[in-house]
Amino acid sequence: MIKVNTDDYPWQSGMTVRNLLDEKVFTFRHIIVRVNGEYVPEEEYENHVIQDGDDVIVLHLMAGG
Amino acid sequence: MGAILKEYRYTPAKIERGYSGKSLYINVADLRIEEKEVTDFMKEKFTGGKGFDLWYLWNAVTPQTRWNSPENEIVISVGPLGGITQYSGTGKSLVCSISPLTDIPIDSNAGGYFGPLLKFSGWDAFELQGKAEKELLIFIDGNNGLIEIEEAEEYPDDAHLLAEELTRKYARDEDDMVNVSVVCTGSAAKHGYMGLLNFSFYDPRRKVVRFKQAARGGLGTVLNDKKIKALVVKYKGVTPNLNNAADISTINKVGVKYHKQMHDLDSKQNAMRQIGTANTVMIMSQYDLLPTRNFQTGGDPEVVNISPEVFINEWLTQGLHDGCWYGCTMSCAKCADHFLLTTGPYAGDRVTVDGPEYECVAGLGSNLGIFDPQAILEENFYCDTYGIDLISFATCTAFIMECYQRGQITREQMGGLDLRFGNSDAVLELLHQMSRGEGFGRLAGLGIRNLKKIFVEDFGADPQLLEDIGMEVKGLEYSEYAHKESLAQQGGFAMATKGPQHDEAWLIFMDMVNKQIPTFEDKANALYYFPMFRTWFGLVGLCKLPWNDIVPADNHKTDSPAKVPEHVQNYVDIFNAVTGQQIDKDELILQSERVYQFQRVFSVRMGKGERADDYAPYRSLGPVSREEYLSRQELYDQQLRDLQGLDPENMHLDEKIARTRSYREDQYEQLMDAVYRRRGWTSNGIPTPERLKEIGMDLPELLEVIKPKL
Amino acid sequence: MKVLTHKQELCIGCLDCEVACSQTYFKTNDRNYSAIRILENNKTYRARNCTQCGECIDMCTANAIYRDRNGVVRIDKKKCVGCLGCVGFCSELVMFYADDLEVPFKCIACNICSNACPTGALEVLISQVKEN
Repeated sequence: MIKVNTDDYPWQSGMTVRNLLDEKVFTFRHIIVRVNGEYVPEEEYENHVIQDGDDVIVLHLMAGG
Repeated sequence: MGAILKEYRYTPAKIERGYSGKSLYINVADLRIEEKEVTDFMKEKFTGGKGFDLWYLWNAVTPQTRWNSPENEIVISVGPLGGITQYSGTGKSLVCSISPLTDIPIDSNAGGYFGPLLKFSGWDAFELQGKAEKELLIFIDGNNGLIEIEEAEEYPDDAHLLAEELTRKYARDEDDMVNVSVVCTGSAAKHGYMGLLNFSFYDPRRKVVRFKQAARGGLGTVLNDKKIKALVVKYKGVTPNLNNAADISTINKVGVKYHKQMHDLDSKQNAMRQIGTANTVMIMSQYDLLPTRNFQTGGDPEVVNISPEVFINEWLTQGLHDGCWYGCTMSCAKCADHFLLTTGPYAGDRVTVDGPEYECVAGLGSNLGIFDPQAILEENFYCDTYGIDLISFATCTAFIMECYQRGQITREQMGGLDLRFGNSDAVLELLHQMSRGEGFGRLAGLGIRNLKKIFVEDFGADPQLLEDIGMEVKGLEYSEYAHKESLAQQGGFAMATKGPQHDEAWLIFMDMVNKQIPTFEDKANALYYFPMFRTWFGLVGLCKLPWNDIVPADNHKTDSPAKVPEHVQNYVDIFNAVTGQQIDKDELILQSERVYQFQRVFSVRMGKGERADDYAPYRSLGPVSREEYLSRQELYDQQLRDLQGLDPENMHLDEKIARTRSYREDQYEQLMDAVYRRRGWTSNGIPTPERLKEIGMDLPELLEVIKPKL
Repeated sequence: MKVLTHKQELCIGCLDCEVACSQTYFKTNDRNYSAIRILENNKTYRARNCTQCGECIDMCTANAIYRDRNGVVRIDKKKCVGCLGCVGFCSELVMFYADDLEVPFKCIACNICSNACPTGALEVLISQVKEN
């Protein structure tokens, strides 16, 4: 089990940040991803593998109106 | 054209550190013109812009004043940073008056050239009071120190014709057109309460007059009631430092840094330069947040037909400067050129449509079940030229459509208009009726609060259902964001002082997606900081969008990326550089809070600023109908389990709806308590004398209003 | 259109071009007021000056930038409001400004620096106009 934006979320072995974003349908481009507090740049989304128990934050910087 | 009724000569005050030091007062009943001092007291307590507007308005009215009383005023002010050219979004005026929809003060912001040119003509603020006998036009010539009041019956009513004619009238030649700006409404302002003010600016590349709007609250209805056809200002000679800033070097440096950031990053972030605010339409739909069919759901598969790409590729001219004041490289006021109108009095004409903004695509589009970009653009055009606030019109029409869908009103009662969701022909016909004051158009512009009463009393509609689905608070319609699952945004809308406009707070993603504000205290802190920060812009002449619709490349490394700290610092630096003061980020919030609390007390004074006025219709808080519950069943059933320990498997749908409702309504009450505490209000929503004293606003006139309510 | 070009192999980094430019237009011997800047890297010299690309024309917030009859990009001082948007937007970083000037400035291919250059490294050439 991992945490995504403080909620529990099922973990799958080998899931990357990109996999997670696709599953959650987090399509907004203007995001900041941190895994266990470490910033993951966009270039790394395909490569960064999420481990069981990781704490993932996907901060959407939505300006709104 | 018309007879000149009055001429007034004056010596335009020189601007020092962002202030001319003078405000203009005109009474259109007796044509009295006065020059008033802008005092140190005003600058200290109210800063400028909306602050000055509200102060003058407070002194003009009594608690008995209604929107159409002669003593009601329209006040316009741009603020000390207004008119600088070096940063983006520096031409915003704020306008205040008592609103026909809410009966309390409304404040509304608009771009365009009027505000800065007004200040350069020597006026920090402009008060209009009284009601004229015949329609008037007021012209301010800031180069020659001349004010003319002219009879104006012969001029056209609709904005796109009126402003073009007036701009040409006062400009010497083509190059002079940019030096003229017009404030006017449109024909529909004669017939409803949601009339807006258009603020013009001339586009020298397209060679057309264009508009931004001070749209919310019915200011155009007030302008028409006062029989003022238009306000015109002319000032030639805009230079980089007309504000006589204390430190032009800092302004230049910060400006160049910001422009470079815009050049490098906008296309990778929000593409404001290509599409403007409508860039969020697809995202909102993908996150189930695009208001659809009167806020019933959060999106629709057909939204793809009104996506940003469709507008960029097929309708909006690309690559030209589209800022609504000099220096704005965010350049987000996109438009559709040579657009062929197919309905109404201008059918067959090709026009420039200013938009669509996000609110237009969401409001006149998905919230009405319309997914046709051409129809949306035509609706946008007619709202602007007829002078109709398209947010109020969209949310009110969505309400009408749902009432019709649910059999609460009949087609006959709408004069034969088939106003069902998706029928853009009927929507356009309704707009034309509003312009002519005919048919159902006479009722449609009165707003949801008045329509609820009429539908119940005259058409026998179900009062509880209408209360639940009529999206208004304090009489003002909601702006176009679906927020049923965001308690923070529910509070941000319903507890906003003027009514549910999102200028105070936009917390939906922070709350629902990022889950950054889980507790009541977190939400209350957000509903303190963000309204204070976001309303500061209106005191000083700035647009909010450049603050966070683009962020620096390293913003993600900061402690609080949602606040965009580097941009907040830019604003502090520019404020100090113009005014010569030495404020910091905390003082900025304090400046804003002074006016914020003043506006709340002003609303209390006018009869609508207490707890009872801060409640939301249930459509804002949760699922009203079975279809709404079923559209998010998994989520709602899970919440019954997790939050209330109930077993949804063994509950009837109506019981699940009722239990969800009672839970959410209780949550909202608890949020109110937390927010009121944080804002320094009593449990009845009244600002306390202690809080007012803390921020230096314990003025005797404010204490007099709140004392009996404590 | 006319464009000022620079040959690295001839440049000796004397900066006479900068002096000539700033002296002519702003009556001061100060490279911050020169529309050509010579950058040194390990004894080789590169010039930065406007290439007349014209990117600034459409983005100018006052519609003050245009091409003259020689295709040279110019700022109309009567229209410019000193917003410095062009300075921030110039991809080549060759639109310059100073705090005591009302409008930004740039190379206008006037030949004053090329005439002052002792080695012939600078030359104004005619090249194809980019349509804007």
